[in-house]
Amino acid sequence: MRPVSGSRARLPRGEGPGAWLAAGSVALSLLALLALLSLLAVRGLEHFWPAPVALVVLEDGRQLAGERVREVPLPEGTGRERLYRTGNRDLYGTRWEWVAVSAIAEVSHPPDLVVLERRRWGEAIGRLTALESETGERVEGEGAWPALEARLAELTSLRQARDALRDEVILPRVRALEEGGDVDRELATANARLRALQAAMEGGRLTLATADGGRLAVPLEQVLRVRRPNAMSPFDKLVAWGEGVWRFLSEGPRAANTAGGVWPAIFGTVLMVMLMSILVTPFGVLAAIYLNEVAHQGRLTRLVRIAVRNLAGVPSIVYGVFGLGVFVYGIGGTLDEWFFDAALPSPTFGTGGLLWASLTLALLTLPVVIVATEEGLARIPDQQREGALALGATRLEMLSRVVLPMATPAMLTGVILAVARAAGEVAPLMLVGVAKLAPQVPVDGDFPFLHLDRKFMHLGYHIFDAAFHGGDVQAAMPLVYATALLLVLVILVLNLTAIFLRHHLSTRHGALTRR
Amino acid sequence: MPDSSSPTSVRRRLRQGRDRLATVLVTAGGIGVIAALLAIGVFLAVEVVPLFWPTGTTQAVSQQALWLPMEGSADPARYRWDPTTTLGTDEAARVSLVPLAWGTLEAAAWALLIAVPLALGAAAHSALFMSPRLRSRLKPTLELMEALPGVVIGFVAGLVLAPWVERHLADVLAMLVLLVPGLLLAGGLWSRLPPRLQQAMPLGWAGLWLVPWLLLLLSAAHALSPWLEAWAFGGDLRHWLEVRLGLDVAVRNAIIVGMAMGFAVMPSVYALAEDALSGVPRSLAEGAQALGATRWQTLWRVVLPAASPGIFSAVMIGAGRAVGETMIVLMASGNAALMTWNPLDGLRSLAATIAIELPEAGPGGLHYRLLLLAALLLFVFTFLVNTLAELVRTRLRRRYRRLGGGA
Repeated sequence: MRPVSGSRARLPRGEGPGAWLAAGSVALSLLALLALLSLLAVRGLEHFWPAPVALVVLEDGRQLAGERVREVPLPEGTGRERLYRTGNRDLYGTRWEWVAVSAIAEVSHPPDLVVLERRRWGEAIGRLTALESETGERVEGEGAWPALEARLAELTSLRQARDALRDEVILPRVRALEEGGDVDRELATANARLRALQAAMEGGRLTLATADGGRLAVPLEQVLRVRRPNAMSPFDKLVAWGEGVWRFLSEGPRAANTAGGVWPAIFGTVLMVMLMSILVTPFGVLAAIYLNEVAHQGRLTRLVRIAVRNLAGVPSIVYGVFGLGVFVYGIGGTLDEWFFDAALPSPTFGTGGLLWASLTLALLTLPVVIVATEEGLARIPDQQREGALALGATRLEMLSRVVLPMATPAMLTGVILAVARAAGEVAPLMLVGVAKLAPQVPVDGDFPFLHLDRKFMHLGYHIFDAAFHGGDVQAAMPLVYATALLLVLVILVLNLTAIFLRHHLSTRHGALTRR
Repeated sequence: MPDSSSPTSVRRRLRQGRDRLATVLVTAGGIGVIAALLAIGVFLAVEVVPLFWPTGTTQAVSQQALWLPMEGSADPARYRWDPTTTLGTDEAARVSLVPLAWGTLEAAAWALLIAVPLALGAAAHSALFMSPRLRSRLKPTLELMEALPGVVIGFVAGLVLAPWVERHLADVLAMLVLLVPGLLLAGGLWSRLPPRLQQAMPLGWAGLWLVPWLLLLLSAAHALSPWLEAWAFGGDLRHWLEVRLGLDVAVRNAIIVGMAMGFAVMPSVYALAEDALSGVPRSLAEGAQALGATRWQTLWRVVLPAASPGIFSAVMIGAGRAVGETMIVLMASGNAALMTWNPLDGLRSLAATIAIELPEAGPGGLHYRLLLLAALLLFVFTFLVNTLAELVRTRLRRRYRRLGGGA
């Protein structure tokens, strides 16, 4: 040992530059990870915050209103330009406008600018000038905004009444009618009420004056939401943000996956992963028990073990090819010929679907579960097995009462790692059953309730599709960020659970106590 | 219990019968599952066979069309992958797998070029210098990084990183130039610090406190880049590249793929390399340090040679992952089947081609079988690479046991 003073003097010179480069590569990796996660978090969450709407007056006197998206330097290095989301795609043909910063004369944020979210054409931005009810009453000026809010609330309750009427009164009657019941009269009165409700919802419309002096008439049934972001308090904005996040999680996609929510994709991902884990757990555990407890531990078993380990490294797309060739075309095609030949040539099981996707992913994650379970089994000391056998237990009893309970955390770890891998895997799904848009989730009230042959939506594929195949990528980007954030969060939570379980497992086996 | 001998023997026989039945079931199930897994390779091989030995319903593709350059064609590119327009027509089939294999290997090479130095540096640092507390936190963090789905990384690379790099090419270059001197400067400055500050920021925690320093370097690179561009490249790096070097600059290119896939591959290389380095028996490193070597010299002369098979297998596993990664290449590469040495041009990999084209290729057709051949290539390549890595690792473990036992 050198004296302390000598070691301090030696360190910088002696450790040399390599130590600093090595430390730098740790820092660089952490920085990259941090940058990726914070990019996703910031971009994914800020979209739901109601952005202020700017009224921009240009040097040439033209006006435009929109949310400022970003500002970039011009290519020649002369000044900068800004991108505004101006909406009103039905008027301008686009919903974006680039403006050179030097051409802007004045920017203000008047509180009376209204942002409308519509069923078609995306949002509309302008000043509310008039509201016309179905009976022809016209409200103009100051009173229009409260009248609009009241009328929209009324419309929402009418819509709820209509849905309730349809689901609780009409649909059961229709089913009874199909079964030969005599409900014609009740059905007729219910239909009349439905028509009355429908009529009460139609006819109203509002008029917006856009910033450049245009006029936009919007029927009220097209309006999803209205807000005046510049007039909102921070608390109102927080409420609106929460509502936006909730709608994103609970609604279906609109406008070719560029707006709306991702509920069907969440549902599809979770359902597919659940089916996969139901398939993979018993088979993986069975194979691991066979390899570790039953098979003769010779050269062949060792080779098989290495092969299984290596299958975890085979690219996922290869599993997708196998799933398509064997499950979809092979087994699915045969099933169609035997049981669904009435529907041919349109395939039932002979095309990608929920069942084949879960099977393919189960195969893909099988090595993960086998390896994790085997590690857990190998860690159990042989004395435990020998003790059980010496007390007269048969091998089955030894396995099921002593070995498997001790290996449970290892199995759980394996299954969770498998789930985390499957939730993020997209490439094989593109071959065996994921769909761009499947607004119907594969579970519903019709027999057999769970439709294994249906295509489904998936969070990962939704990201790919919205980001690369959508018409207006610019408009889809915020939702893609939010979807990516959601997917990463799901996977992080699953992985943290696995890490926690593994930690739990190692401390428990340190003490070697049963149960 | 002498009086209950007869019911006991019945029960015992029942138990033994149940035991035997369970053993048979487990054996059958286990062998079945493993056979199903191994069936993947068999299925691909069987489906590919008709390509080479036609059976009447399908025509064969000559080996020449797949691997050799086209003859007597005016086309300057002599290897072309273009099955959708040329199969089933009178034209010569342009189904060369060479550009796809090229794209796959090029993407993997760039990814490894970025991932391997980062991963090995990080592994060396965490095995030798890092404080145990930070190390026990860093490992799960990098495991989480490994679990990030490819589709998210590919999206960020293709739609955020690629346009940014296209606009800020000079920034990236400046960052590359500044990175190594900047880190060395950090080391030099650190050694000039008063001892109390050095104790507050020890080398063991450098992985954390260098992050703000790197941010500082990034902003310095951003500030310096216009100056660098004006001084060395006549004001416009991209123009300079295109005119002076004749390099096309595509938005989504091999470098972007390399950066994204390097990010994705780095954690798995790190984990294996770290295992190999920290698995080297302590007696070796302690002996070297007792003879007066610094920790870095110990690493370079003693630990690294001892662990080199493990490092090799880590790199191999990384290569296997990089070759098979689909979504990142699909989203960040532009998918143009080019064969150039230009790292700023697009590429198209085998895996991405399968993902794009297989849903449209009807079952049993020539196109379908060609894509299955591509899948078989991927399967064989990754399987061989992984087996090699596994064998090397097994041998290494035996060596450590011997070395550790001798100490």
